[in-house]
Amino acid sequence: MMHLLPPLPVAGPLAVAALLLATSRLLPARVPDTVALLTVLLATAACVAMAVGTAATPLTYWFGGWTPRDGLVLGVGFVVDQPGAALAAFIGLLFAATLVFAWGYYDEVHAHFHVLMLLFLAGMIGFCLTHDLFNLFVWFELISVAAFALTGYQLRQSALEAALNFTVVNTLGSYLMLAGIGLLYARIGALDFTGLGRGVAAHPGDVVVAAAFTLLASGLLIKGAQVPFHFWLADAHAVAPSPVSVVFSGAMVALGVFGVGRLTWTVFADSLPVHAVVHALLLGLGCASAVVGGLMALAQRHLKRLLAFSTISHTGILLAGLALLRQDATAGMLAYLVGHGLVKAALFMLAGILLALCGAIDEITLRGQGRALWPVGIAFGAGGLLLAGLPFGILQHGLGLIDAAAHAEGRGWVGPVLTVGTALTGAAVLRAGGRIFLNLGPDPGFESRAPTEADREKADRPLWLMLAPPAVMLLAAVVSGGPAAGFAMRAAGQAMQPDSAHILGGPSLPPTPFPAEPPGTGLAWISVAVAIALAGLLLMRHRLPRRALALNDRVSDAVVGSMARLHTGRIGDYVTWMVFGLALFVVSFVLT
Amino acid sequence: MTRTARLLLFALSCLVLAPATLALAWHMPAFGAHPLPYGEAINAVATAERHVTNMVSAVNFDYRGIDTLGEESMLLCAVTGVSVLLRGARGESTRARPGRVHGQPLRPRSTAMTLIGRVAAPVVLLFGVYVALHAMSTPGGGFQGGVIIASGLLLAFLGDGYRTWRRIVPSHLMDAIEGGGALLFALSGLLGLLTGAAFLANVLPFGEPGSVTSGGLMIPINLGVAGAVAGGFAVLFGEFLEETRVELSDRPAGGDT
Amino acid sequence: MIALLPWLVAVWLFGIGLYGIVTSRNFVHLIGCLSVVQASTYVLLLAVGYRGGAGAPIFYTHPPGTPAVDPVVQALVLTDIVIGAAVTALLLALALQLHKRRGTLDPDELRPLHR
Repeated sequence: MMHLLPPLPVAGPLAVAALLLATSRLLPARVPDTVALLTVLLATAACVAMAVGTAATPLTYWFGGWTPRDGLVLGVGFVVDQPGAALAAFIGLLFAATLVFAWGYYDEVHAHFHVLMLLFLAGMIGFCLTHDLFNLFVWFELISVAAFALTGYQLRQSALEAALNFTVVNTLGSYLMLAGIGLLYARIGALDFTGLGRGVAAHPGDVVVAAAFTLLASGLLIKGAQVPFHFWLADAHAVAPSPVSVVFSGAMVALGVFGVGRLTWTVFADSLPVHAVVHALLLGLGCASAVVGGLMALAQRHLKRLLAFSTISHTGILLAGLALLRQDATAGMLAYLVGHGLVKAALFMLAGILLALCGAIDEITLRGQGRALWPVGIAFGAGGLLLAGLPFGILQHGLGLIDAAAHAEGRGWVGPVLTVGTALTGAAVLRAGGRIFLNLGPDPGFESRAPTEADREKADRPLWLMLAPPAVMLLAAVVSGGPAAGFAMRAAGQAMQPDSAHILGGPSLPPTPFPAEPPGTGLAWISVAVAIALAGLLLMRHRLPRRALALNDRVSDAVVGSMARLHTGRIGDYVTWMVFGLALFVVSFVLT
Repeated sequence: MTRTARLLLFALSCLVLAPATLALAWHMPAFGAHPLPYGEAINAVATAERHVTNMVSAVNFDYRGIDTLGEESMLLCAVTGVSVLLRGARGESTRARPGRVHGQPLRPRSTAMTLIGRVAAPVVLLFGVYVALHAMSTPGGGFQGGVIIASGLLLAFLGDGYRTWRRIVPSHLMDAIEGGGALLFALSGLLGLLTGAAFLANVLPFGEPGSVTSGGLMIPINLGVAGAVAGGFAVLFGEFLEETRVELSDRPAGGDT
Repeated sequence: MIALLPWLVAVWLFGIGLYGIVTSRNFVHLIGCLSVVQASTYVLLLAVGYRGGAGAPIFYTHPPGTPAVDPVVQALVLTDIVIGAAVTALLLALALQLHKRRGTLDPDELRPLHR
């Protein structure tokens, strides 16, 4: 049975989406909701089954029955390994939770929302499972196009502007990726990961291979929203409908980083120059994103924009974990990916509840408005504390593994730098929570100068229906820590040696032993303490003596203000920074 | 950033990138003479294995059929997105007058235009069907044919105006053709699973090389693509053309064309 | 030198398209520039698949075995074209809606949430 599964979670949603589109005018209300949710659950079940069944060996599936001949791959293959299948299953669950959260919200337009969401899901699952570079690109592009359409869904002015920025920058990313594929094809004449990996190993130190990595990695980092490619994200995630933002922040961005990992572990597994650049530049970019995202999150008042910047920060942590290129760090990255997805998705849903029930998304406008919604407040606070690094659950296990791995690599500074990011984003969320649900912070500081707008979503669903998915997800993030970390460790081992024995032969990266003791919680407690203290300071501004206030304003303007001025919302600036990012790759290839 | 700062940063980055790209061009494999194992293998075996003479179609619909399924879905996604973006603001109503640029009179369509439209539309449609059907033997295929069919439908708008065009090409029919085409593609893939083979496995008889009926499973896949593309582009044209209309109440009565 | 030309053309198209996007004052122009960037990927892919003195990979009148260029990159370019059409349609729809709401298409005057 298992060997039949791989195409189904991709082809199934695609077929159902086509069917929904063809018959949309005939379907009564709620049918698209039901059909879409069922499809998502079935696809998820298939992915779960594969994640369980591939514990020992990955599952290889050749579309059209084109098994390789004499080592030459003629068709397209999926190689379903545990990390890919588990990630796909997680994404499926996230979609299911989102569809429950958005139940009945999108009745009006002929199931278009459900068609787009199903195509979106199929793209993401295909991206996780594929073993072919061009096929990866096709799914990447399907994800992108669905995301572009969903961003502008509400047709508000800022949604349209953000969707334009998002589309242009991400489409440039696609073209960068396609150019990278072209270069590799020119050099190697193959498209499957195994064949490309062999070809790369046969051309050590080749300029064409280095250029191809630069193009592919920048394309994926644009999707992964890492400094300096990150500018589009805050615009897009802030204005997309909240169910869509849930998927954007919970899964789509992380897939960009996972894609870089996939290529580094397979295609470029034997390229030392590429490993050196990953080790140096991507580690730096990840750390920079963690800090920049945190600072920018703190400077926001638009709640979804705040959460969007915190996504940049936490995705930076993922990239740093990836860039250490060790099994334990990769395990930490995978665990953190799932944990962050759960918590961030829950927070975006809570923001969506505020949009629906309080009719606003601006932290300062909403001050005290959430007092009646205390269950939402509790969940929001818990989410903030988890983001800050509360040492319970999967997020802390992930970050602990990354920190331990960095120490073992002699890069002890990585952990503290990433902790700055968690403390800042935690402080931002806690400040917003304190202001909205506890009526604190009458005197807003620099955040009052941040961009914002009035916004609301339909209040057509009962509170319990909207609150159930985020509550379940937060709970899952807390209780799943230990087992999830163990699972991630095994999955990381498979991810980093995908071509062992049955596909290629010979390990490419040395395995690292599982750390004997569980990760320390010292840094985590410091991070939580800093986050609470910082949030308290910002909320209690009006109690500060005048001199301290002036100092506070000067420091915050120097640090946060100058950075906020770079996030202009102008497409020309964003593309310039993208070109700058490409130049960074060139410089680091020359230097390493 | 000011525009000057932006340009400075851009120029600076290009200063770094320019030598790198020159080095890259210098190290690229020899143009027109480097080995292409993948493509050459396909050129060598596809005609014998699948009885088709158009190698590009063989790659698109058989060897790398799953890519094409993804790409069809992407088109579906974009068309649905455009429908959402344009129809969402406009509503479903098609009872509207032509919009006009301020100060420019609305001229009636000339007889020549009608004649050309009526003569050209059937020819273009037929050509589109021809290109689509001969995917497996000669240059062309479902994409190219589908786009030509959609433009043939558009000629009805140029020749006979909005009302006629809307009657021939109602958007719900086009939605159905578009979704149905993609569905046909996906179901063709599932056919292989039913017979115990892989998804998209070519389980139909391959036919005679060079004929319209060659290619086995590629025939329904190609038809699905043609339907999805023709329907999709017709919806796109329709949505953008609707944008040239204005609500009945918006403007004083003008000539309805 | 002539052998470098296809690669240099691709690089030039990519660069000049990016320059157009960075300096653009009109979204429709910007969308055109995006297509120029995309054209560079066409040039690159087709140049990669070119084989000196070979014909099209269609064996309708020539028997199989006649030298032919790489059909795989041509299939990739076909996908690329569909992507281009899809994205361009979406972008134009977005630009159209935006023009109705803002009355301008200057990217430098459009700033999501900044007002």
